[in-house]
Amino acid sequence: MSSRDLDTYRPQHPAQLADVLERVLDKGIVIAGDIQINLLDIELLTVKIRLLIASADKAREMGIDWWQGDPFLHGRNGQGELEERLRRLEEKAGLPTSEREEE
Amino acid sequence: MAAAPLHEDDTGWYLYGVVANGADPPPVAGVDPRDQVVVLAEGPVAGVASRVLLSEFDEAALVDRLADAEWLEQKIRAHEQVVEAALASGAVVPCRFCTVYRDESELRRFLSERGDALAEALARVEGRVELGVKAFAARPAAAGEASQAESGRAYLEARRREQQARQELARSRGEIAAQLHERLLAAAEDGVVLALQSRDVSGRDAEMVFNGAYLVADRGRFEDALAAISRERDDVGLELTGPWPPYNFVSEELSRP
Repeated sequence: MSSRDLDTYRPQHPAQLADVLERVLDKGIVIAGDIQINLLDIELLTVKIRLLIASADKAREMGIDWWQGDPFLHGRNGQGELEERLRRLEEKAGLPTSEREEE
Repeated sequence: MAAAPLHEDDTGWYLYGVVANGADPPPVAGVDPRDQVVVLAEGPVAGVASRVLLSEFDEAALVDRLADAEWLEQKIRAHEQVVEAALASGAVVPCRFCTVYRDESELRRFLSERGDALAEALARVEGRVELGVKAFAARPAAAGEASQAESGRAYLEARRREQQARQELARSRGEIAAQLHERLLAAAEDGVVLALQSRDVSGRDAEMVFNGAYLVADRGRFEDALAAISRERDDVGLELTGPWPPYNFVSEELSRP
């Protein structure tokens, strides 16, 4: 699709799940003022919901439980940090930096 | 889930948003379809709410529920549907997902304690809607040159060129975004820049270069501004979403009691 084709238009209804999520979830969930459940990465959550909904039956069969085991949703573990450190080192060494897109 | 009616003992109140006192309850099902959505008036404002099982919506249960993508999408869509239905008949201060009170008195206390601030927030969004604007650029050529390079030196040079191209692209996209936001803001009452969505999330081939939300009083004027930008810029495709409840234009402390 050329970018020109996109022009101004309204996407399909109902609204894209991602657009709804980024509005209703914001940065987390708060219950009655005192309880806070943090959702550190709405984007990641959206991807997962989309993937799971695409194959909801299959996911159920397999008993996927991504929330519990997900480091992004439970506080960051060292991985992102490690990548960032690698990137900085490569920059320092004058090397082209690692591209995460190539995964 | 059993279809038994909800008992007061095991239920809390799910708050969708706040409207002016006197507004009718939106005629749609809530996040628990067994109970009706009602308005609980308190001073100048009223809460749009319905009862939910605490076994489903209280803290411990919720963490598990959130792991269930189907449940989550269903409830999020139901939340949005109620707020949009309320919006159809007047101004709404929308609450975020899962704003739950353990009993009615807690909910009423929030409404009465924050009544003035809520009424002000309602006045601010009265007659205005939130519109979303996203801009997409064509995807850059795949960065595969380096992997085909024959020598180490050629590889490094290719990587450098790719990196420069990416930086150039990022700079021009930053300019596009800044310009878009400035012009759209001029046709709106207020605006915010939202996080870009990746292709996985947007579901589009093209890469998102801008994502913004605007509080708009005059939709014709705003859409004219958008159309003018669209005519001038053939390097981006624009997408308009909404009208949304003004999620991005109510203060966090009000939408998160």
